[in-house]
Amino acid sequence: MKNSRKLLGKEIKLAASPLSWLFTAFALMTLIPGYPILVGSFFVCLGLFQSFQSSRENNDILYTVLLPVSKTDAVKAKYRFVVLIQMIAFAISAVITLLRLTLMTKATPYVTNPMMNANQAFLAYMLVIFALFNWLFLCGFFKTAYKFGASFILFIVVSFIVVIIGEVLHHIPGLEFLNGTDTLCDKRMWIILAAGIVFYVLVTFVSCRVAMKRFERVDM
Amino acid sequence: MGKVLSVSGLRKEYPKFTLDNISFEIDEGMIMGLIGRNGAGKTTTIKSILNLIHTSAGEIQYFGKSLNEHEAEIKHQIGYAGGAVDYYKKKKIKKIISVTKTFYSDWDDEAYRKYMDLFELDEDKTPSELSEGMKVKLNLTMALSHGAKLLILDEPTSGLDPVSRDELLEVFKLLAGKGVAILFSTHITSDLDKCADSITYIRKGQLQFSGTMADYIEKCKSEGIGETLEEIMLHYEKENLHEKFA
Repeated sequence: MKNSRKLLGKEIKLAASPLSWLFTAFALMTLIPGYPILVGSFFVCLGLFQSFQSSRENNDILYTVLLPVSKTDAVKAKYRFVVLIQMIAFAISAVITLLRLTLMTKATPYVTNPMMNANQAFLAYMLVIFALFNWLFLCGFFKTAYKFGASFILFIVVSFIVVIIGEVLHHIPGLEFLNGTDTLCDKRMWIILAAGIVFYVLVTFVSCRVAMKRFERVDM
Repeated sequence: MGKVLSVSGLRKEYPKFTLDNISFEIDEGMIMGLIGRNGAGKTTTIKSILNLIHTSAGEIQYFGKSLNEHEAEIKHQIGYAGGAVDYYKKKKIKKIISVTKTFYSDWDDEAYRKYMDLFELDEDKTPSELSEGMKVKLNLTMALSHGAKLLILDEPTSGLDPVSRDELLEVFKLLAGKGVAILFSTHITSDLDKCADSITYIRKGQLQFSGTMADYIEKCKSEGIGETLEEIMLHYEKENLHEKFA
């Protein structure tokens, strides 16, 4: 078994806070009408933040670098764990979104919903918030592998700006389609989702590279 | 006897402290005490030889191999325990072990059981339920179960009661008898009297002496500095205090 895979096992069995798993349930907020459902993605990241707090309290980073593994493997494992949790939450939201776009397209609470509806644009926003977490918080954490308060506050501010933008955009004339409840065949929406996926993959990949370089420079 | 660890010309600069020109060697089955008063540079030396911090100069070799080039391979053969450091305080020891062992190809379950029994450790306990002495023993067990040939211990005896300390030093002697080399930092000179073959004495970030304890004591005795390690350390560090007040 490769070291990075063993380290992912270590993240899951030793370092992770149960709250990280539990908070993926906030993806169920995708069902709620009349609520800024994108906040659910923020809560998923808040759950991940708990694992970093738990890691720090338990000297997880020191334990890891003393193992016969490279420092870059340690960074990759943290990223893999974060991506795993984010993808579980994304999968829950994607399934609910699909149900809403197929079986609930005419449901009154959604059709008259003044807040964000679950559709491809919502899933793209969700990926943007996750990517921002990986870039601002996770990559920020590896500057010191110890301090994470400022990085998390920055993530809170930026992610809430994204939530506000998401809630405002579909009220702008011409952009109402962003809040559609029947957008399964709307090409524009699939393009937005594809853009969200590309953004998430790129930001996560690049931030992981940067985090590896940063962590190499850290004195424990 | 084979060289287990060889350190030469180690240097690490901090804004207000510099560790400079630290050199020493440890052979198989040797117990070396790394001594110096608080803040002298013992932990910095240990962190340097574990590659936990970046040094600005120096060469570190384990078993004749450079640490920078063979880090993962070397880490299979060494074990580290910090005095007050414990990992995953609320996880059961058996869970920590089940994860740890996957990283070591040479993990020996039989040896693990043997040392758990020897040290009377209960794997259903969590590290937070262990006393300081038991925590050190747990770290020793983990290191010895993956066949570590060198144990690097940062102040393993600080915080221990005299009986536990004596017991631990006895364990060191037994392990050394089996060929395991031990480097342990301490500021308690009586620890060294009981078990160390050699010492590396660091004073204000500089190497004061590295060699056999008998040679050092003999040398200091002939210079009228002192007849025991404690007297010698007090001589140097007190002298320093007089300089400051002058």
